[in-house]
Amino acid sequence: MEAKNIKFRHVYWNPYFGGLMLGLLIAATFYVTGRGVGATGGTKATVVKIVDVVAPEHTENQEFYSKYVDEDKNPMKNWLVFETLGILIGAFLSGSIKGRVNFRIQHSPKITSKTRLIFALAGGLFFGVGSQLARGCTSGAALSGSTVLSLAGFITMIGIFGTAYLFAYFFRKLWI
Amino acid sequence: MGPLTFNDIISTEWNYVIALLIGLAFGYILEASGFSSSRKLVGVFYGYDFVVIRVFITAVSVAMITLLYLDYLGFLDFSMLYVVPTYINAQVVGSIIMGIGFLMGGFCPGTSLTAVAIGKIDGMVFTGGIWLGIFGFSEAYPYIEDFNNSGYLGNVTIMDYFGINAYTFAFGFAVFAIIAFTVASKIRKNIKEIQY
Amino acid sequence: MQKRYIFLAILFIAMASGLLFLPDMKEKSQIPVDVFLNDIHSNNRHLTSDEIAKRIINGDPMVFLVDVRTVEEYDNYSLPGSINIPLKDILLDDWAGYLDQDIVDVIFYSNDDILSEQAWALCKQLGFKNLYVLDGGLNTWFETIMLPKEPGELASTAAFDLFSFRTGASIYFGSGSTAVAVEAKPVKKKTIPVKKKAKREAEGGC
Repeated sequence: MEAKNIKFRHVYWNPYFGGLMLGLLIAATFYVTGRGVGATGGTKATVVKIVDVVAPEHTENQEFYSKYVDEDKNPMKNWLVFETLGILIGAFLSGSIKGRVNFRIQHSPKITSKTRLIFALAGGLFFGVGSQLARGCTSGAALSGSTVLSLAGFITMIGIFGTAYLFAYFFRKLWI
Repeated sequence: MGPLTFNDIISTEWNYVIALLIGLAFGYILEASGFSSSRKLVGVFYGYDFVVIRVFITAVSVAMITLLYLDYLGFLDFSMLYVVPTYINAQVVGSIIMGIGFLMGGFCPGTSLTAVAIGKIDGMVFTGGIWLGIFGFSEAYPYIEDFNNSGYLGNVTIMDYFGINAYTFAFGFAVFAIIAFTVASKIRKNIKEIQY
Repeated sequence: MQKRYIFLAILFIAMASGLLFLPDMKEKSQIPVDVFLNDIHSNNRHLTSDEIAKRIINGDPMVFLVDVRTVEEYDNYSLPGSINIPLKDILLDDWAGYLDQDIVDVIFYSNDDILSEQAWALCKQLGFKNLYVLDGGLNTWFETIMLPKEPGELASTAAFDLFSFRTGASIYFGSGSTAVAVEAKPVKKKTIPVKKKAKREAEGGC
């Protein structure tokens, strides 16, 4: 047991240092490309692409998809798709250097893995719907949006964190 | 003069390569700061680990100040940067939904990608959930389209809406950041240690 | 709290407060006054009608004619390949892409020099480059190119050469040397070969 604990003991960066690096990265992103980062855009492009492959007529008729599917416009040729790919690679690099890459389910000892997975799925569902409504998630809207002082960025940030604080009590069994 | 791709200092073909590189750095920093661990992320709501607000608020503040300095020195045109459009009703409801989702899933989309990359199955399930959520949303789109587009105010910035000077706001935000960190540290000391 | 965090916090606040005390930078930088006056007094900016005619006929891609008169006057008659920026609009951001560059030669013209000189001065003091003025404006253009005066018997060969050039030019530009009234030729709106600073819409989102 000891050895396992040591292997999984997570040594992370100092959070302020991480924040500094992240802040500089966001600034650099804006400086080079004029836009911020984003996380759900890649998933959305994948959704559109798969639906398009499976049922092309549906995409043409449906308003939501038709914006992204054109004669020659490939929805996967999207800035965010490449960026998402980069996130995966970068995180893998960081994890593997520190020896954190391993298949596992992380959950509080008070619940089972199955419970964790169910709630993970539910959380993802909520985030999928919510991010489309809010035109962004924590990375795209709150982080990048707030950097350029957009109103939406702060609304989203306060909304997400405020709501989570309000309802944290009800979900405490999941985590602590 | 930035943004670089706008004035053809960097051509648009490089855009996707740049996207990849930026994503790479983003994923690396997130994972190295510990955001691939769901229990670490929700610690901010229960008081045992404040890494989220420390990284988040530092990042926003640093980036904001850097960009404003670059704008002042003439290296960047701040007004050309993308401002997320404001849809008040949709965004308030959307962020409430996302807040609940955060509590349930313990991830946000960006961090779930980092979890996927290091093999966390709950991260993969979460990402699958996002996929389904977006799919469901788009199927239901005709019914909620009106709500989705309600409360549109355009690409509004804090300066436009409240009439505050950008520099004043950035300074105020920095002060708020320091206060938040101090409070977080105090709370952290008084909550019992949790092993994860 | 650890000392280094306090130090970092102070540093952070100092950087942020620096923003509050920044002196106001002038929106658009202006060139120094003596340089500007020097340029006014020198005559480098004037291009004669002959020079312009020659360059247009040769299809010089560096020629970029700007008509600073009103829209009605522009539609009535204008030089081929010119665009119309009324003088009152000359400093609008829309036109900065055309005027603030260093690839083609921007040549202002109006009926006589007055408006075009003003346009030149306005753009010059903002530091734009490659700015020129059609000497004498369209009035001189008509007198020299469109309706060239035949030189007298005792004039030099050079004068005769010039006259024949001008006759040819006037035929090229469509009036014919004997026509009195100049017909409004449909002006081909030249596509700008230079990459203008496109005000590209930022894309973004999640």
